[in-house]
Amino acid sequence: MNMMATARDGRSQNSHPSAMVKELLDIADYIASLRDAIAILRANELTRDRLPMVHEELSEVVAATAGATNSIMSTAEAVLALRDGPGYRDAVEAKIYDIFEACTFQDITGQRIAKVAEAMSQLEGRLARFSAAVKARDAAGIDEIEIDRRKRNESLLLNGPQMGGPATAQDAIDALFA
Amino acid sequence: MALDLSMPILVVDDYQTMVRIIRNLLKQLGFEDVDDASDGTAALARLKGRKYGLVISDWNMEPMTGYELLRHVRADEGLRTTPFIMVTAESKTENVIAAKKAGVNNYIVKPFNAATLKSKIEAVCGA
Repeated sequence: MNMMATARDGRSQNSHPSAMVKELLDIADYIASLRDAIAILRANELTRDRLPMVHEELSEVVAATAGATNSIMSTAEAVLALRDGPGYRDAVEAKIYDIFEACTFQDITGQRIAKVAEAMSQLEGRLARFSAAVKARDAAGIDEIEIDRRKRNESLLLNGPQMGGPATAQDAIDALFA
Repeated sequence: MALDLSMPILVVDDYQTMVRIIRNLLKQLGFEDVDDASDGTAALARLKGRKYGLVISDWNMEPMTGYELLRHVRADEGLRTTPFIMVTAESKTENVIAAKKAGVNNYIVKPFNAATLKSKIEAVCGA
């Protein structure tokens, strides 16, 4: 857009044909480089394949962790409900193996999350190259829905879990209530 | 004063797994009368219909958060004295202070165990 404005200004200030041709060629070069940058982004592949894959994989992770947690908890509850008696140890051992089996979800979800991380890394790389190629600048404003979401989160102090464990330890919290 | 193990307790969390964990911990402590709700709105409806001896609530839920539920409870003449424990991953000091100002009786950071839960219930319910 700036180059278009420059071209329009140039037309009024400098009517020399060769200067106009040069500016038009510059604009053509810029458009060509922009098209290359867009092509490198491979937006169609991202929206058709990569991002749906990310959604599917994360949904599978959520389902697998929920399924495994339910399975482990059901088994633990079943162990708690076992009655003392001659078969108690065998019954507990059988339930423990059920828990081991349920824990295999971690291997599968780990692989799924690795696929998502790789896709995100590719997306990050492409966006970074695209941003550099077009010298992109972020718009000043944010859309209304995002503003409302941020306001609500700020007013309700919705931070979510902190990275690396709780921001404030239980002991420190207890001191506030002592 | 011993804990009243027969008192009804309302557990509020949008994750059924967490509700199940808290239910089991409460059962381990001897509490059998436990109801649950999946967010603040559902919890308020339950609180209007039954007198609970304790509310144990998560913070981060939609459409009504645990923090909003706490403020509603403390603003309600009939509910304002109900003991309220926040059990949450929202562990920044500002959150704890905000909850305390809003009238929370105690605050537990996830993950936690039965001993922690017991000590907080004892502190809140006057054992």
